[in-house]
Amino acid sequence: MRLMLQLSLRTLSANRLRFILTTFAVLLGVSFVVSSFVLTDGLTRTFDTIVEDANAGIDAQVRARSDFDEVSFTYRPFDQSLLEVVAATEGVAEVFPGAQSMRIIPVKTDGEPVKTTGAPILSFNWTGSSPSVTVVDGVAPQGPGEFSLDQTTAEREGFVVGETYGVLGVNGVEPHTLVGTTRFGEENALGGAVMLTFTLDELQRLDGTEGLIQWIEVSAVAGVEPDALIGSLEAALPSTVEAVSSEVIVAEGQDEIGGILSIIGNILLGFALVAVFVSTFIISNTFNILLGQRVRQLALLRALGASARQVKFGAVLEALIVGVLASVLGLGGGVLLAIGLAALMDAMGFGLPSIDLIIAPRTVVVAVVVGIGVTLMASLSPARRAARVPPVAAMRAGFRFGSGEGTRRTIIAVILSVLGSAAIAYGIFGGSDDTGLIFLALGAGAVLVFVAVSMFAPLFSSPSASFLGAPLEHLPGANITGHIARNNASSNNKRTASTAAGLMIGLALIAMASVVATSLKASLRSELGSTLTAEFLVLPPNDGNFSNTIAAQVSALPEFSEVSAVRYGNMRVAGEEKAVTATDLSVVTDLLDIDVLEGDTVNAADPSSIVVTKKAAEEHGVEVGQVLVVEFAESGMRALTVSAVYENDFLVGDYLIDLSGWDQNFASTSDNVISAKVAPGVDLAAAAAALEPLEQASPQLTFQTKDEFAADIEGQLDSLLVVINVFLGLAIVIALLGITNTMALSVLERTQEIGLMRAIGTTRRQTRSMIRLEAGVVSLFGALLGVLVGLAFGWVAVIAIPDSFISKLSIPAQTLAIYVVIATIAGLVAASIPARRAARLNVLDAIAQI
Amino acid sequence: MKLTKARPETQKKKHRMRPAHHASSRAEGLAQPGIEIMAATAAGLTKIYGEGETEVVALDHVDIGFEAGKLTAIMGPSGSGKSTLMHCMAGLDSVTDGEVRAGDAVISELSDKDLTLLRRERMGFIFQAFNLVPTLTAEENILLPLLLGGRKPDKDWEAKVVASLGLGDRLHHRPDQLSGGQQQRVAVARALVTQPAVIFADEPTGNLDSKSGEEVLGFLRRAVDDWHQTVVMVTHDPKAASYADVVVFLRDGQLVGRLENPTTDEVHDQIRALET
Ligand SMILES: Nc1ncnc2c1ncn2[C@@H]1O[C@H](COP(=O)(O)OP(=O)(O)OP(=O)(O)O)[C@@H](O)[C@H]1O
Ligand SMILES: [Mg+2]
Repeated sequence: MRLMLQLSLRTLSANRLRFILTTFAVLLGVSFVVSSFVLTDGLTRTFDTIVEDANAGIDAQVRARSDFDEVSFTYRPFDQSLLEVVAATEGVAEVFPGAQSMRIIPVKTDGEPVKTTGAPILSFNWTGSSPSVTVVDGVAPQGPGEFSLDQTTAEREGFVVGETYGVLGVNGVEPHTLVGTTRFGEENALGGAVMLTFTLDELQRLDGTEGLIQWIEVSAVAGVEPDALIGSLEAALPSTVEAVSSEVIVAEGQDEIGGILSIIGNILLGFALVAVFVSTFIISNTFNILLGQRVRQLALLRALGASARQVKFGAVLEALIVGVLASVLGLGGGVLLAIGLAALMDAMGFGLPSIDLIIAPRTVVVAVVVGIGVTLMASLSPARRAARVPPVAAMRAGFRFGSGEGTRRTIIAVILSVLGSAAIAYGIFGGSDDTGLIFLALGAGAVLVFVAVSMFAPLFSSPSASFLGAPLEHLPGANITGHIARNNASSNNKRTASTAAGLMIGLALIAMASVVATSLKASLRSELGSTLTAEFLVLPPNDGNFSNTIAAQVSALPEFSEVSAVRYGNMRVAGEEKAVTATDLSVVTDLLDIDVLEGDTVNAADPSSIVVTKKAAEEHGVEVGQVLVVEFAESGMRALTVSAVYENDFLVGDYLIDLSGWDQNFASTSDNVISAKVAPGVDLAAAAAALEPLEQASPQLTFQTKDEFAADIEGQLDSLLVVINVFLGLAIVIALLGITNTMALSVLERTQEIGLMRAIGTTRRQTRSMIRLEAGVVSLFGALLGVLVGLAFGWVAVIAIPDSFISKLSIPAQTLAIYVVIATIAGLVAASIPARRAARLNVLDAIAQI
Repeated sequence: MKLTKARPETQKKKHRMRPAHHASSRAEGLAQPGIEIMAATAAGLTKIYGEGETEVVALDHVDIGFEAGKLTAIMGPSGSGKSTLMHCMAGLDSVTDGEVRAGDAVISELSDKDLTLLRRERMGFIFQAFNLVPTLTAEENILLPLLLGGRKPDKDWEAKVVASLGLGDRLHHRPDQLSGGQQQRVAVARALVTQPAVIFADEPTGNLDSKSGEEVLGFLRRAVDDWHQTVVMVTHDPKAASYADVVVFLRDGQLVGRLENPTTDEVHDQIRALET
């Protein structure tokens, strides 16, 4: 075995470049995996500390009692008078009322409201109770007309302490003096959010919620145990509010952030696994090619008495060395990548705190398992083939491994594709509630399909490459080099197939994302076109909410006939949390074609009615005229009469109540959207002009036509797609490394041929283009195959995704064509290094081998 | 010189052996009318591999000319510098010192690009083995130098070459479908198709059985006789050398002998003389 180790080491050093590239491919995958862990671990730790610090110094919190948020991500307000009750409770030392608003917006000197890239603009009342919010400059707000702003925003937007600025509240823009700047924690890491503080009275006035607060922070008299404090608070308070200890608050906060971070982490991990998967193909391919080149050597070993096991061991050993190296380096690379990613996110305005670098034992284990596991797995088939090299091959020229067309292989590929499709089908139609299981099924299914496709590929890679390379024959000035490139690309079907496989996977995922996004956009367009009959929409920034006074102002304009506010909230039906939409039911069918199947919405415009989709009606077994019991966070159980059943849930979901019903059952009274229908005979431009004064008074709101709204959403989808493509780009980079690697190996293999060609008059330039064109053909094959697989995946996804999101398939042919072109060119470029090597090849050395 | 003394019977033959430096005086007469025209010449050609202790003088001030329209054979013991001489003359290798000319081109001063074009257009090559691009058909291999230059093949000439080499029914086969002899014939055809100034062949029959070898030699001979081609051939085989018009002998990087129109026996004798 010593000997085999020596031989392995020698093979590695003799093929240094190949092994560096192979190791690098694995290393990249491992790094990506490691960085996803390091980043989430670090962020989790950091945010845990932030949450702890933010709640340091308080012992308990009083808040509205509910198991769910009536409006997502907001606290349900309660009456301020409870403050006195709490203060008078035994064991309570100090009380700090708390309120938060997302509807107050600072206005810059130029009249522009401050905007964020998606994070909220948060206003709090200043209490001085939290040690993590501190004044940096100036003082805290003391009275009406004063506010403070967080340090980062003040600097970025040019706010100066002592100056007066407009602050936009429910009553429009009012002048306020910036009395100070504040900082949250050490680094003011607000995640891109803006933080304003006011006195409580001023905050309530600006928010239009006078007399309401959202929480009360309580500190205990020295010596009072938290449990005792909670007990006496619970006893003193009405049942609509509850008291919880600060540990609970901290734990809840940490859970919430932890949940979000783990989603981010899982998404990163998903992309990382794609990269790892692609690198598996590359390693396997490299080992196979190297093996083919060493048949003689292996056979000689066998002839000299090495056992099949020893030969196999040697091959596995090489993989092991690569795997260990890649794991160790990947661990380091992953940490660097995590730092880089964090810096990138920070630069993109996510306002991240500097993260602790945590390399958990789990991260190390995963790095080692992935790095070594993947290489070993990739080396299994080459190693088995190595062991099968007959000793006689040492004496006989022309021993070749199977061409990948064997029936056994085809049968395995068929089985794998059936299993893969079954797993995907299970993920989609299995009806499992466990999202983890669904993703696992989909992921495993996709992996199996990819493996199956790559096993089928040798069956048609030769004719495909020959077909795709045909235009090269007519390249001006390069027809013979083009011809040879085409020949080479199609002469080794297996190699072409496995080299193309990496690119195929990357392109398939990109194509799928693109198909899904385009279908989503197209569905949205057509749904908006056919369902939304209102022409104008009023929307707040960042999916927030806004004062319910605006709707009345729009409604008062003669240019509009039907106007209704829309509010989104949550309720419970049969113990399950459901999204509910409130709107003016008397006009809903004028604004939105919800396709009423039965009953009547106009007469449902009262607090005791509810309108549900056919799906929801069936789920709860109710019909028009029957009662549906629902639970609201504020008002508790309510028996509502089902007044109508509708079909189309686009924009409104499954449950609709009237605004009057909302007012009775919800504490919050803000609007989320206003939809308005232009009066007959009024043209769009006139209607838009009529909205102008309102728009000026509420610069934070967007007054959009339906088309603008659609374009906005499409823009958001496009940005999301860009992010996805960037992450999938790593898989593409690895695939390209694979192309570099294969081409380098085949240049090595063809040293004599290239030397001969150079001798009889092939210029360096022609040699280079020959290699590059070959890589181009292989890449084009991989890219096209990928797009085909991606189209299939995309089509399945479109079928799987509910019609309320995606109702029709739309194929972005032009975009896909561009991806194919880019991938092909990238493949050409990836072959540059081997191409240059080929061109620089010493003609004599090459001929000397003859 | 040792070998001049050691030639027993050759003196009696019509081909007299001349000391090597005579060859260089011929090269100088390149432009003079009435004297043989040289297809390629070298003056003071020196090739040194390596440096210091590992230094090997592969060619030591060689003056030589290859006459146009003749078949010249280069012989000599292994390591004597035959291949090196050929490579330097063919523009495949750089020279350490001296001047190499092919026609009016000074090979030793050309750039890689110009050398490549020169090889493509003015030279033909036949190697001992691995002469053909495996993924191209016989015909494509034959036409390769023309195709590389984007030149249209001269159909008549091509047909003539192919017919005379008996390759007509093998044109669409790939090299691995051809016998060794056929492969070598394809290489000969490729060397001929551009009607080059010189064809260089390094042990073209080294890998062939005697019958195939003789065929290939016969073609080379005919190319010179019928089509006035110039062929320079490195060989170890006295029988092969007997096909040549001129045989030059190398030893330790120096020209040590020359025979004209030799018989196999004469070559044998010369070799034996050189070995002692
Ligand atoms: N690339 C090189 N580096 C170092 N030395 C070399 C190199 N090529 C040739 N030589 C040396 O130059 C000398 C001449 O070699 P060359 O190949 O020309 O001999 P040859 O006459 O063709 O021999 P053979 O009949 O064996 O082919 C030899 O001593 C050889 O070792
Ligand atoms: Mg030689």
